[in-house]
Amino acid sequence: MKELKELIRDPKILVGMIVVPLILFPILGAVMNFSVESAKETATKTTALVLNHDSGENSTQFIDYLGDWLRVFKANASTVDEAVQQMASYNATELIEIPQDFSQNVSTNKAVEVKFYSIYSGAGLLEGIGSSIVDSVVVQFNRNAAPDLIVAEKSSIIKGKAVENVDPRALSSLMISQAVALPVTMMIMLTYSMQIAATSVAMEKEEKTLETVLTLPMDRFAILMGKLSGSIIIAGAAAAAYMVGFNYYMGSFSGLSTGGANLDLVSLGLVPSAFGYLLLGISLFITLLSALALAVILSAFAEDVRSAQSLVSYVYPLVFIPSLILMYVDINMLPIWLRWILYAIPFSQPIIASKAVIMGDYLTAGLGIAYVVGFTLVIMYAASRLFATEKILTAKLKLRGLRKGGRKSTEET
Amino acid sequence: MKSVVKLFGSIRALDGLSFTVKSGGIFGLIGPNGAGKTTALRVICTLILPTSGEAKVFGVDVVDGADEVRRFITYLPEEAGAYRNLSGWEYLEFMGSFVAKSKDDVRQMVEEAAEICGLGDRLKDRAKTYSKGMKRRLLVARALMSKPKLAVLDEPTSGLDVLHSYHVRTIIKRYVQEQGVTVLLSSHNMLEVEHLCDRVALLSKGKIVAEGEPQELKQRFESPNLEEVFAKVVGFA
Repeated sequence: MKELKELIRDPKILVGMIVVPLILFPILGAVMNFSVESAKETATKTTALVLNHDSGENSTQFIDYLGDWLRVFKANASTVDEAVQQMASYNATELIEIPQDFSQNVSTNKAVEVKFYSIYSGAGLLEGIGSSIVDSVVVQFNRNAAPDLIVAEKSSIIKGKAVENVDPRALSSLMISQAVALPVTMMIMLTYSMQIAATSVAMEKEEKTLETVLTLPMDRFAILMGKLSGSIIIAGAAAAAYMVGFNYYMGSFSGLSTGGANLDLVSLGLVPSAFGYLLLGISLFITLLSALALAVILSAFAEDVRSAQSLVSYVYPLVFIPSLILMYVDINMLPIWLRWILYAIPFSQPIIASKAVIMGDYLTAGLGIAYVVGFTLVIMYAASRLFATEKILTAKLKLRGLRKGGRKSTEET
Repeated sequence: MKSVVKLFGSIRALDGLSFTVKSGGIFGLIGPNGAGKTTALRVICTLILPTSGEAKVFGVDVVDGADEVRRFITYLPEEAGAYRNLSGWEYLEFMGSFVAKSKDDVRQMVEEAAEICGLGDRLKDRAKTYSKGMKRRLLVARALMSKPKLAVLDEPTSGLDVLHSYHVRTIIKRYVQEQGVTVLLSSHNMLEVEHLCDRVALLSKGKIVAEGEPQELKQRFESPNLEEVFAKVVGFA
């Protein structure tokens, strides 16, 4: 009984093992539920642009049949590239190219190859829904007409360019599987480095060296920077190690075979450019720095290493929730309010940036960096104010007091 | 210090505290736990701000001139520790580097400190291997090695056995005599203070209840020692 009481009364265990899962999983469940609903809605609104090279009646009937299932528009173009340029104006995600000999082949019951292109947008789990809908329509059409009459040739449209013979669903599966790596590593890196930063200040308190240091003839801000500099070096090394590992990881997808399709992400342009890597590295470094500064502030309210680690653990949901959500769902597929919440959490930014730089969206990555820099400056200012006053010695955040909504300050006399 | 009040929420840690320390001597603040000794020393060392009143160190205000005050004081907190994974020597070098002007100065300070603490070859060992007495001797040496104008020592012999306490007291006394350092210390061990201090102030509930030379106080209150003086002053005896 005593063992149980001690464990339950330890806030770290209480929060980490009981409260966090209780909060985390319902939130994730709600997000995933929303994603499924959103997927259903997307499926009903799938829009296709048809590039018809055939002038026969059969192709018109086929287009009409497609129109029963999808929103269909006819492209005013003669080539796939021209049609791709028109897709945005129709809000279309699918492009269907009907060959010249379509009607002739259909009328003689000869198999005809129809090219189906899907836009790859990096939408996570929702990616490829349009492609699946088109697949089922073709299957249904074949069932009504003749088996294997229409042979679907699947291709993708990546960054505005048609890439032949890249199955969008296979590509999507591959991208989702590799997209898991960054959030997981981010979670490990952030939580680990925050523990280190919190420990460095709390250790000074626990070992009773902080008071002595604060009476030395040096600027308090310099003391703070001294504390942070060690953490910054660790953050820099962690970001560099991460980038090296991530680069290797992305490179390992070169020539990977998934679902029968040979997918080379490097040649498909689905790995960050050198500039993209630079932005991602900066985003990662600044985010780590903000987390470390936050950990230093929190640890100033702790009396010892153990309580500092407990306090820091309260920030973990802000690391875990965005990471787990963005692991599977693209931020643009979420409702606007949730999107803004995730944008407001600085720890989301490297994950958002990683997807953005792969898609060549450097603006999103840049804005994220600017936001996290602003957040970090605010946190650093708060930390420097804390170090400049007696609060660094006297502030003690008591969990019991916190639960009652109060903060108590005590002092030895 | 002049009429210094320090409030922590509803707790009145210092209640109009006033006293003056003469240069070149050892001044002792004595009183039981919770009397306000540590708070008074922390105000003087610029660690906490007085709620009202003023405190000056060699004419410099501890609030307005905090940076300047820190240049000529050193502070030894009651439960101070050394960095566990640094050797005693490295710790002294690290602390010396904040006050010394050159590497030579640091070396001289550390050599001085090594002599003060008398730890010999053990200075090469990590601080985590030191006994409480050894650690305290190291920290006292750190507080004195830079020859500060004012050394503020909070319970310098706290938790030490008789021999270690004797050694630390000897160090302090010798250093004041030889280097002209002014020492302000606190203690709840009144017998110790009686042997060490030129002048003492008795604190109770954040106020000074009596002040003077130990001999003078004993005569004034017709008591054989300061312990009894204190008991009489606060009406306990």
